[in-house]
Amino acid sequence: MRRISTLPVVAVGLIAFVALVVPWLGLPDPVQIDVPHRLSGPSWDHWLGRDEVGRDILSRLLWGARSSLTVALFSAVIACLVGTTLGVLGGFLGGLVDLATIRLADIVLCFPPLLLALLVVTLLGPGASTLIPVIALVYMPGFVRVAYAGVLGVRHLEYVEAQRALGVGSARIMLRTVLPNISGPVMVQFSLAMASAVVLESGLSFLGLGVVPPAPSWGLMIGAARSTMAQTPLPLLWPCIALTITVLSMNALCDAVRSAVDPHGAVPRRLRWLLPPLPSGLSLAAKGASLAVRDLEVAIDAKDAEVRPVRGVSWEVAPGETLAIVGESGSGKSLSGLAVLGLLPLVARPAAGAALFEGRDLLRLDEPALRHLRGADIAMVFQDPMSSLNPVHRIGTQITEAILVHRSVSRRRAWQEAVELLAKVGIPDAARRARSFPHELSGGMRQRAMIAMAIANRPKLLIADEPTTALDVTIQAQVLELLAGLKAEEGMGVVFITHALPVVAEIADRVMVMYAGEVVEQGPVAEIFARPLHPYTAALLRSAPPEDGSLPQAIPGTVPLPQHLPPGCAFAPRCAHRQAACEATHPALEDVGPDRVTRCLRWRDMSATAQTQQVTA
Amino acid sequence: MTPLIEAVKLSKQFGGGGVFGFGARPVRALNEVTLSIARGEAVGLVGESGSGKSTMGRVMLGLTPASSGSVRLDGVDIASLRGKETRRLRQRMQLVFQDPYSSLDPRRRISAQIADGLLAHGLARPADIADRVAALLAQVGLPPAHAQRYPHEFSGGQRQRIGIARALAVDPEFLVADEPVSALDVSVQAQVLTLLADLRARLGLAMLFISHDLPVVRSLCDRVVVLYLGRVMEEGPAAEVFRHPRHPYTRALLSAAPNIDPGRRRRRILLRGDPPSPANPPSGCVFRTRCAWAVEACATAVPALAEAVRGHRVACLRVEDAALLGDPDINGPV
Repeated sequence: MRRISTLPVVAVGLIAFVALVVPWLGLPDPVQIDVPHRLSGPSWDHWLGRDEVGRDILSRLLWGARSSLTVALFSAVIACLVGTTLGVLGGFLGGLVDLATIRLADIVLCFPPLLLALLVVTLLGPGASTLIPVIALVYMPGFVRVAYAGVLGVRHLEYVEAQRALGVGSARIMLRTVLPNISGPVMVQFSLAMASAVVLESGLSFLGLGVVPPAPSWGLMIGAARSTMAQTPLPLLWPCIALTITVLSMNALCDAVRSAVDPHGAVPRRLRWLLPPLPSGLSLAAKGASLAVRDLEVAIDAKDAEVRPVRGVSWEVAPGETLAIVGESGSGKSLSGLAVLGLLPLVARPAAGAALFEGRDLLRLDEPALRHLRGADIAMVFQDPMSSLNPVHRIGTQITEAILVHRSVSRRRAWQEAVELLAKVGIPDAARRARSFPHELSGGMRQRAMIAMAIANRPKLLIADEPTTALDVTIQAQVLELLAGLKAEEGMGVVFITHALPVVAEIADRVMVMYAGEVVEQGPVAEIFARPLHPYTAALLRSAPPEDGSLPQAIPGTVPLPQHLPPGCAFAPRCAHRQAACEATHPALEDVGPDRVTRCLRWRDMSATAQTQQVTA
Repeated sequence: MTPLIEAVKLSKQFGGGGVFGFGARPVRALNEVTLSIARGEAVGLVGESGSGKSTMGRVMLGLTPASSGSVRLDGVDIASLRGKETRRLRQRMQLVFQDPYSSLDPRRRISAQIADGLLAHGLARPADIADRVAALLAQVGLPPAHAQRYPHEFSGGQRQRIGIARALAVDPEFLVADEPVSALDVSVQAQVLTLLADLRARLGLAMLFISHDLPVVRSLCDRVVVLYLGRVMEEGPAAEVFRHPRHPYTRALLSAAPNIDPGRRRRRILLRGDPPSPANPPSGCVFRTRCAWAVEACATAVPALAEAVRGHRVACLRVEDAALLGDPDINGPV
């Protein structure tokens, strides 16, 4: 939970405090009638003047706050306790309990709240003690529904199921696990109910169905002042102002609570970043490559300091070539790919380097120019097609739009092309499938549709971020086959970001291994997999389950966070080959052969070991 | 070996009935699945999404009631257990989840979550709880000093270890591990696999290891069961099934898994399309719509699971022919 903003808390706190200490403020008696001085204006003794029977308005206002808030608080608390209990029971136990609690709440919800309140008050007679249960009854269904919806969301989560599997009793699960996890929305509902209870109390008192005269209440004050409005409007104004301020501060508090418990709350606004200009000597031509990334750095501005999850990364892809970027989570592999297209998450920004594409530097292009490139010359495919396809549009329409944004063809022609593309990526019965919505397709089909959209404008480069990770092996095999075919046919360069080494072995020509934000090894796939020169690459290869059914060899430890990098080689703490020098100096990327680089002080020893191993094998 | 736990002709269907599900077809998640696991044995349950493998795990634990058939623990039908006996059942069988993020309550300290099982079954006196939790953390390779931390302070692999510690707290005999490593990075995956293998050897745990990743299953399991649309296609000793897969589906599945070593790459049998919907499975053999060897007879008869070699059972009408039809040369180079 984030911190709640302080202003609304202070405002509501102040109002509540005043209401609490009214008896000790030494105010005149709020029911003391003084008819001769009725309706006298503000004076030193009576700051806000006197009302129609000469009672002190300030005193009545503050005592009124006391009764308003008391009624609102007690009714909201009762509504919250009863409603949440019923909602949790109904949601968690289901069946008949569900029917009894939720339908009961629904029936109460069917009545207009004011009408319901009127009905009950008429039956039971007015008075603060009747008001509390009446208002509680009016707001209870809201709590039932909120708690019920929350429980339904939490009930099937794995940690709740884990408790059931452990044999933990239902009551304990509800109290210890379910309740804390739905407390956010219930708190929001509570502050909402408090604010509207204040209004409802005033409304009922105004109608003479709430607080009984002569006891002070804002609703009564408004009602009484109404009749003398023509003579002096001030007595009417004071309770209205008090009511408005109270409800406004409570609503503000409600908003503050909501944004504090909502994990998807405020997103930092993207600021326009300024990259240092390119070094003057650098040519913008990417020799022979369709995209060349040079010394890319990505920065994230954390609370206390700036961290760099990607540092000094250079890579290029030639037309018709597949480059795989491999690494574990936290290695910076996705950030390296997304930075090129200006698609970094909002907290991250490119901090240095260049991405050269057809004589332009993508990192220094403005958003409209990038948008023009994305989906046309450079396309992307993501891991989860469901989050990149629009759920409310047919997939044919979405591909058509993608074509129309970048090319001036008729809509009919674009639709035709969309159907052809769907057929090309292996979707059977493409003409009919083009009319489907994303949710009507299976995961594999959706990924094919994404690929169809990506290649709609014959891109020169395709960046695929874990495109097969969410798919079954049989479907993954189909998609890999499809990508390989498209690459050969269209001659596009492919950047394939993944953590699965076997997939790399299948699909890539060259591979770049990343660790803790840096490139540790780069070169042709066949060579690197046969003869890894960096201990991390070697360890990664050994950690894949081997063919013979023996257990894979784990790499001890975890990837260091970018804010806690070791001073020397980032892999040294987990490396079986480390020496004192590895922990002292940060190794540079060295050329170790044609088209091969590695970042290890001991690569010569590694190379020797690899050769002896090959000889013995 | 007498089985510790066995499922006999287990079927499970979802939906279909009720007033509001009017006209909806029931989804048959499991169809007469028979499976037994001996003490200390690890059985791999393999299949694509929608094959019913996760449902199988839940039904065997008694977390989801079966539609028909029975689950017997030490010969006792778990559906017949009442009250106290059900609680005792919970203690004997445990579950490890796939997603290390959603399987831990973000709002409670991990010590409290690991202690849940101990408290529910009165397995430790309140004074000893802290020691037990520390011992459990040590057992899964986590520093006991981290017991008072919250889940978000751990990495995915560490969270998976915590999930395992929580399951081990009640000292179970049988563990269902539902894709426990598929959400993890490959280097961490190896760590967790090694831990599971080690725990199994040390504690003599019987294990149902649910996974779609065949090499992972092979490295951990004694036996493997291949599930497709809720039916068992093939079952046998892991080494045997992986070396000589007999069912066309198993062959396709094995050939689809990418291989890190180009020299060992298999000739790929590319399955066409997606698995059919479990709400509307094909007649006869459920795999026939995607099978390269399917003949007319496959559409009419449901093939029985028959023993091909000792302990190796296959449900395919053409299991003999398929061998003759020119072996797809599953282990040969491309």
